[in-house]
Amino acid sequence: MAKFFGIDRFFQFLNTIKETGGIRASLYKLYRMDNLRPGTLVGTDKYGNKYYENPHYFYGRNRWVEYAEKYGLDYDASQVPAEWYGWLHYKTDLTPDKDPSRPHYKWMADHTENLSGTPGQFMPYSTTRPKIEPWIPPKA
Amino acid sequence: MNSAITKIFSVAKTGSRYVRPSAQLINQRYIGSPPKDGYIYVNDKDPSMDLNDITDRAAQTIFFTELIRGFGVTLAQIFKEPATINYPFEKGPLSPRFRGEHALRRYPSGEERCIACKLCEAICPAQQAITIEAEERADGSRRTTRYDIDMTKCIYCGFCQEACPVDAIVEGPNFEFSTETHEELLYNKEKLLNNGDKWESEIAANIHADHLYR
Repeated sequence: MAKFFGIDRFFQFLNTIKETGGIRASLYKLYRMDNLRPGTLVGTDKYGNKYYENPHYFYGRNRWVEYAEKYGLDYDASQVPAEWYGWLHYKTDLTPDKDPSRPHYKWMADHTENLSGTPGQFMPYSTTRPKIEPWIPPKA
Repeated sequence: MNSAITKIFSVAKTGSRYVRPSAQLINQRYIGSPPKDGYIYVNDKDPSMDLNDITDRAAQTIFFTELIRGFGVTLAQIFKEPATINYPFEKGPLSPRFRGEHALRRYPSGEERCIACKLCEAICPAQQAITIEAEERADGSRRTTRYDIDMTKCIYCGFCQEACPVDAIVEGPNFEFSTETHEELLYNKEKLLNNGDKWESEIAANIHADHLYR
């Protein structure tokens, strides 16, 4: 009955606020993510980003990432590491800990976000010795 | 007696066509008697241009029922789920064959795959996008000393990864590598290898997902 008239939506809304951690936390989340939705926590990567899923929403909106608290409002799409990239982009339904096709080599590097515009940005340099070396006049 | 009733009935029927066209339509729909002429005109009829009818139509358009119906549409859209995605948090579906940022891969041992065969350089349709220089390494193997890709020349056609005999150069899944300056997109070998180290998990998963078609 409540479902027919859509009253359950109201209780769902209250429940979402409770799950988020109160009115204050909900308002902050709404401010930060423009969205307040219920979802089940699927996993957390080693950088602290949390991955949620709610199949109630349609395909393309049913998976989302909540960037780690330390990023504040400086979250960026490139902060999603390679391990979770496929899951978040609907390439696979397997989370990285359940996917056997994902290798773990010791030379694999940590993920970095897109550092353009920061001191850590990539600047091209030559990886070979110059072919023409300038003549340095002998002293005296 | 009986024929008289039939006559009255038929007169009433044809008469109603002129008096109440809508009633006529309902008759046809639900009673199922075909019209006398043998066909039904289903296209829109041109509106009548009597002053009376024009006034009626104008009044109907202006009257607030129309406005309220418009508001109704607006209100319905507010409660509808949006068709857009909330981008940095939600991302769109992507294929394992997606061709994004380039990366140079390594063997599981950590040895770099590229053997400087220059097939990628040769096949590149954006003529000068890839630059390779090779030299013999101390242990006698042939490796690149320079592997530069100008990401601003690249057209992301994926020919380089198709040409590569050892799966060394791949176009990874990453598309979030936009930069503020042009020079940051002139990738050298170190950057490409670093990309490979960062994205190996996803690159390997993509190759695995596509292994039946390779």
